[in-house]
Amino acid sequence: MAVLIRRLEEQDELEPFDCGDEPLNNYLRRYAWANQQKSSIGVTYVAIDEIAPRTVIGYFTLATASVPRDTFPKKYVRGLPPYNLPLILLARLAVDRRFSGKGLGHALISEAFKIALRVADDVGCRCVITDSYRDRVDWYARYGFVALEGVAESGHQRMFLDIRTIRMAVKGA
Amino acid sequence: MAPKSNQTGKQPQAGRAARKSKFQADLAPAEDRIVRGLKQELQLGSNTDFLSDALALFRWAVWERKNGRRIFSESETGERKELVLPRLERVAPELMLPRIEISWTPRELESLAELASREPATPTESLVRAMRG
Repeated sequence: MAVLIRRLEEQDELEPFDCGDEPLNNYLRRYAWANQQKSSIGVTYVAIDEIAPRTVIGYFTLATASVPRDTFPKKYVRGLPPYNLPLILLARLAVDRRFSGKGLGHALISEAFKIALRVADDVGCRCVITDSYRDRVDWYARYGFVALEGVAESGHQRMFLDIRTIRMAVKGA
Repeated sequence: MAPKSNQTGKQPQAGRAARKSKFQADLAPAEDRIVRGLKQELQLGSNTDFLSDALALFRWAVWERKNGRRIFSESETGERKELVLPRLERVAPELMLPRIEISWTPRELESLAELASREPATPTESLVRAMRG
């Protein structure tokens, strides 16, 4: 299976996509294109198999954000740059269940990290943040994501990965 | 002209020529034939000249795409074909990600500030594997 990861295009077939999670299916089918093209609040990258180049078998969505410096507790401000903290949000990542266990999640997150590095090089970015499902926390932790404290028990787990760690991984690769 | 290796901004020492870097590539037989054919067509005597011209062309394509300009060929009848290379598209300004607002609890902000002000963690094996290739 030769997989290609590229930006979502209008002609892509999204209906057959099923990752087993309705909110993630629904986001791809109903909102991903509009958010990318009309609202510009997230860019979705899709994995496709070269033999069926319009059928999406996995995806992730990225956006940028920043945290105003004056919202941080004073005791930490000294250790931070004197600007707002720019970050990349890995908003969603899902694999069609017919393709699960084939390393597609790894391929998707690899591409997300590479894009994050390019964005960091172009416009600056300090970290990657993701809101993980509770049962996927260990999977993100394998890549070095650290759980933030103070998240509601019932909600998603917000996680942090320093962009400098990703940069070090490139050198170590 | 060969690509030079000392791109660090340091001046070469007086009396010493700037060092040139070697470039070695493993080509499939078909690719090798293409290179030989192009060299003959373009009357390029050496691989260095070939690489230099290819580099200039690639550099120009990257520059154009980086500045948001698309690259086309046009026939005599006005028929246009667009050059689309996935790697080239990565430098296009359309790659830029949109900006959004995220809501944070005070404890999350404290935790974020604490993590961001630390020295970066050592990459995990999975992360190193992810950045390979």
